[in-house]
Amino acid sequence: METAHKRPNYILIWVYLAVLTAAELALAFELPISRNLKLLLLLFLAVWKAALVGLFFMHLKFERWNLRIMALIPLPLAVIFILAGMSEHIW
Amino acid sequence: MTQAAATVDQMLPPYPAERGLDVYNKKLGMWVFLASEVMFFAALIGTYVILRFGATGEWAKPGIVLNIKITAFNTFLLICSSVSMVKAYAAIQDGDPKKMRFWLLMTILGGATFVGIQVYEYIHLVEHGFVPSGVREGSELAALVANGTLPAATMGLYGSTFFTMTGFHGFHVTCGVISMTYLYLTKALPGKYSKQDYGGIETVGLYWHFVDLVWIILFTIVYLI
Amino acid sequence: MTSVAATAHGAHAHHDDRSFVRKYIFSTDHKIIGIQFLFVSLFFLLVGGLLAMQMRWQLGFPGQPMPGGGVLPETMAPGGVILPEYYIQLVTMHGTFMVFFAIMPLLVGVFANFLIPLKIGTHDMAFPRINMWSFWTFFIGGLIMLSSLFVPDGAARAGWTMYAPLSARHDYSGASIGQELWSVSIIFVGLSSILGSLNYITTIINNRAPGMTWFRMPLSVWSLFITAILGLLALPVLSGAAIMLLFDQTIGTHFFDPAAGGQALLWQHLFWFFGHPEVYILILPAMGMVSDIISNGSRKPIFGYHSMVFAIVAIAFLGWIVWGHHMFVSGMNPTLGSSFMVSTLVIAVPSAVKTFNWMGTMWRGNLRFHVPMLHAVAFVAMFVIGGLSGIFMAATPVDMQIHDTYFIVAHLHYVLFGGSLFALFGAIVYWYPKMFGRMMSERWGKVHFWLTFIFYNCTFFPMHITGMAGEMRRLYDPNQYTFLQPLQPIRVFISISAFLLFATQLIFFVNFWWNLWKGEKAPQNPWEDNGLEWSLPSPAPHGNWEKVPTVYRGPYEFSSPQSTEDYLPQYTKLPTDREPARAPVAGH
Repeated sequence: METAHKRPNYILIWVYLAVLTAAELALAFELPISRNLKLLLLLFLAVWKAALVGLFFMHLKFERWNLRIMALIPLPLAVIFILAGMSEHIW
Repeated sequence: MTQAAATVDQMLPPYPAERGLDVYNKKLGMWVFLASEVMFFAALIGTYVILRFGATGEWAKPGIVLNIKITAFNTFLLICSSVSMVKAYAAIQDGDPKKMRFWLLMTILGGATFVGIQVYEYIHLVEHGFVPSGVREGSELAALVANGTLPAATMGLYGSTFFTMTGFHGFHVTCGVISMTYLYLTKALPGKYSKQDYGGIETVGLYWHFVDLVWIILFTIVYLI
Repeated sequence: MTSVAATAHGAHAHHDDRSFVRKYIFSTDHKIIGIQFLFVSLFFLLVGGLLAMQMRWQLGFPGQPMPGGGVLPETMAPGGVILPEYYIQLVTMHGTFMVFFAIMPLLVGVFANFLIPLKIGTHDMAFPRINMWSFWTFFIGGLIMLSSLFVPDGAARAGWTMYAPLSARHDYSGASIGQELWSVSIIFVGLSSILGSLNYITTIINNRAPGMTWFRMPLSVWSLFITAILGLLALPVLSGAAIMLLFDQTIGTHFFDPAAGGQALLWQHLFWFFGHPEVYILILPAMGMVSDIISNGSRKPIFGYHSMVFAIVAIAFLGWIVWGHHMFVSGMNPTLGSSFMVSTLVIAVPSAVKTFNWMGTMWRGNLRFHVPMLHAVAFVAMFVIGGLSGIFMAATPVDMQIHDTYFIVAHLHYVLFGGSLFALFGAIVYWYPKMFGRMMSERWGKVHFWLTFIFYNCTFFPMHITGMAGEMRRLYDPNQYTFLQPLQPIRVFISISAFLLFATQLIFFVNFWWNLWKGEKAPQNPWEDNGLEWSLPSPAPHGNWEKVPTVYRGPYEFSSPQSTEDYLPQYTKLPTDREPARAPVAGH
């Protein structure tokens, strides 16, 4: 069961998500920075937004550690697969 | 014991069992299902990354084929529907079914609008010549390929990956809208949810947030990069 | 000391007034669903076998009209003589039916469904209706795959591994709708598997009876749990790949089409990223059930229970990072290849741990060679042979020589037939009493076992030799190569052994079906075993127990000093046993 916790401020999270989305759009189209840096920053922002949804809307922050692990297990598998596939093009 | 924990206990059955993950079956089942969904989208998104990374030749620049403005609005809409979903959940946790029904209805409308806009976008794209196999001969976009604005070599892959990823995401959103509508009509409206029993709302909520989460990733890597 | 008269927690079935259709056709009872999987999968096992018999006819007696071949269409086998286009369909569909519609559903669909609630002490699965859907999506997938044998231009023919772009383009393969039907069918199979895994995982985590702690679960349940996790995470990747293949085949996408920038190797990576965990799905439940049977047949606790659990987890964990060993000759990145070689060699270790533990269990045990025990011991021996040939393949330089030869075919049949199928025969005989309330014939079981064992080894062992000599797999006519012509006598020997092997299975089928009606009525605990399912009458009633049992010990307490018998069930309460700690309620 969820540990005792104060309910998160969902509206505040919504504001964060809106701000991060705006930041992504600005980054993608307005800012004159190098392609690789842009890629990295955009991915970072996307992951941050995804984490906000996962931790606060899906309440993962307040669940037991083993449920969190279970939710996160697929991610390293996905990363391994993608990296292996990409490595075909760097030799 | 907090309010939340007390109500969760009442969603558990009266027969004794070993302590599991301290999460009732429906919710645990949904998390397990979402793990499989992550792998499914990992296959589709991974394919996109691998194909794009390995493509010889440029990829189309963002914003030329796809309409960023409408999609950015759509992204915002989906995020809003995620907020309304979690507010519905909070409402029923507090024992306010009326407020829960309001927010659930808002979520359904938000989701349905998202799908509607996506469908509109697809029709628009096909009309301009963007299809799963790439760019259609003689279309508006074919002219852009001819004058070099769009790279001929990778448009086939662009079409394949775009429609598959966003198509399956849209399919998942549609299933979510249908499920929520079903729950709204059969459980929420007749007042079957209460402070003691709101498992269905929490479970469908998890699915809905997941669908939003996948879109957050997709929007970035498909539309903005 | 307490006499272990089975304390009958098995209450009579509460009054069951469901209709025939709800009880046996659209049933949500995990036991009925397991039996449904059993009947349908045994049928597909037969289909797979018939396809193989045709292949062996061509290899043993090339160019000769096959007995009964007159029923085949002229485009496949004119005058009963198998054509190359048909041969490659046989190869493809034999693999497809055996892997997806026979072995996987027999191990998981049957035994996960039947055993899990019974062995952990609960009334049914966590989501009985989803369980029903899991069977029916499997059934639909099977019908679709079966139909693909009868469509114009024939069935899919790019091997069960469906490599693209051969599988993606009709002008390359010569098939048309048959290829699409394969993709569609696999999507249904994937869905079935995912729905099933959902149930198994949730049920095992949340619905164990009081006292059934994680380390008191039988190894059959542990292996089914870990298998369910593998299935949950691997099948979606196959579904995604099949969808992309279907799109390449139908709506003109270019995922695997090199001419338009797609990557043929991408299919291989996707397929084998699923495919390797899949082969562990095909062996782990067999290993788990073999552990239960060997412990029972040795009247000794399983040797090294905890290490057995950790070995299962290790195999599952490592199984995610070895998939490239199927692609050593594909032209993939060699550095990546080397990393796969290392991980593949490492995964042999936990498998070896399990093998030694089985031997340790049998060592100085009070051995009872009942039919399941015969099969379980044969499993260990055959699996060792299959595993050892696997080590050859793990070494990339060796694999360069033997990839796509009969050495691989020998390996996979030793682990899948010598391993999984022998374990399945043993498991079916073992749990038949609890499923049907009857016993299979012990005598005919032994006849079937020995004949199968002999003919099986005669069929598949020589393939190691022909493979080493360079005979390629999926090859219609080895005699077109002069260096393979001298092997023809071996091919004939293999084919004749295969025909005899197939004929022998008739004994099993008759034993199985005959005894459903005419078999000796089964006692409650015919094997004198400790699991919770043996506390119920044979067959087990709907709902299993009225009150779930309480568990006081692990499942392998054989020859325990605390008992007058040589077994001590998990549910028997001795005066010295304490009740489990009051657990917070979980489940539903």
